[in-house]
Amino acid sequence: MFPVRCFSCGAVIGHLYEEYKKKLEEGKTPKEALDELGIERYCCRRMFLTYKSVIKEFARFHGAVG
Amino acid sequence: MKIEILEESDLKVKFILREAPIALANSFRRAMKSLVPTMAVDYVDFYMNTSFLYDEIIAHRIGLIPIKTDLERFNLPEKCSCGGEGCPNCQVSFRLNVEGPKVVYSGDLISDDPEIRPVYDNIPIIELYEGQQLMIEAVARLGTGKEHAKFQPVTVCFYKIIPEIVVKDNCDKCGKCVEVCVRNVLKKENDKIEVGNVLACSMCMECVKNCEENAIEVLETNDYLFTVEGTGALPVKTVMRKALEILRDKAKEMNEIIQTLI
Ligand code: SF4
Ligand code: SF4
Ligand SMILES: [Zn+2]
Ligand SMILES: [Zn+2]
Repeated sequence: MFPVRCFSCGAVIGHLYEEYKKKLEEGKTPKEALDELGIERYCCRRMFLTYKSVIKEFARFHGAVG
Repeated sequence: MKIEILEESDLKVKFILREAPIALANSFRRAMKSLVPTMAVDYVDFYMNTSFLYDEIIAHRIGLIPIKTDLERFNLPEKCSCGGEGCPNCQVSFRLNVEGPKVVYSGDLISDDPEIRPVYDNIPIIELYEGQQLMIEAVARLGTGKEHAKFQPVTVCFYKIIPEIVVKDNCDKCGKCVEVCVRNVLKKENDKIEVGNVLACSMCMECVKNCEENAIEVLETNDYLFTVEGTGALPVKTVMRKALEILRDKAKEMNEIIQTLI
């Protein structure tokens, strides 16, 4: 799941994730999307750039191990 | 001591603190960060959790969600008339009972108190899949940043000294200082070295090191540029006011202690 806050500075970023995803689907680059959302610091920017959801991977094995 | 506000919104305030000793500037910063109370979820009861995430992870995520705080109405648990046991004057509980498939957002938390709600309604808490259920009760209370970072009313809160840049008469206008200044603070105008936006200066001292004539000086002053960003739990201005109040009370208390000793 996407972190609620930036690990380094503690700024709340969780509420922007859905918007960020929508902007990427519209074909914007991550840079444009982050600039539009007003995320300035590189600590918060990397939270978006390096995020990878693994909960869907877990869901694939649901039931396989109990 | 003077405060000059440069930029202001509910979430971000930039201001200059003038003519204050550095110890005071720092205690002001620390008071804002760790002494002003805000609300956060501190205790979560799990009745049912068949999701992919552990109880602890969910509790941790819920704890980090900023919650709108009313400092007038709520007491710190240790200062409450209930003696810290928990009562409507120091606690608010949130309920959540959802079944998958669904993404659970912070807005799905049902509060006991309509005024005390999460600041943002669209923070994803957990993704539930077919047949998964989550039934919890989360209890929020006031706390300070001293205890846990989730209670901090501000996220980014820092200051830097606004320097005084002096170019002396023996300057030969070689322009080297202008070249090395990464922040573009210095300018060469009308055959003179001028100081542009002094707020941008990081006091890296590159200009001083590179000046062959020793003609430039970057001096510390008693003025500070503060940048404070809030989580949304309290407006930043309220945090500033509250922090100063707390500092004043602490100073008073200290004064009284000293009075009894002498
Ligand atoms: S480097 Fe020194 S001498 Fe050269 S312009 Fe700057 S202040 Fe003047
Ligand atoms: S101290 Fe650094 S930032 Fe400031 S004027 Fe000199 S070179 Fe520029
Ligand atoms: Zn950050
Ligand atoms: Zn109480």
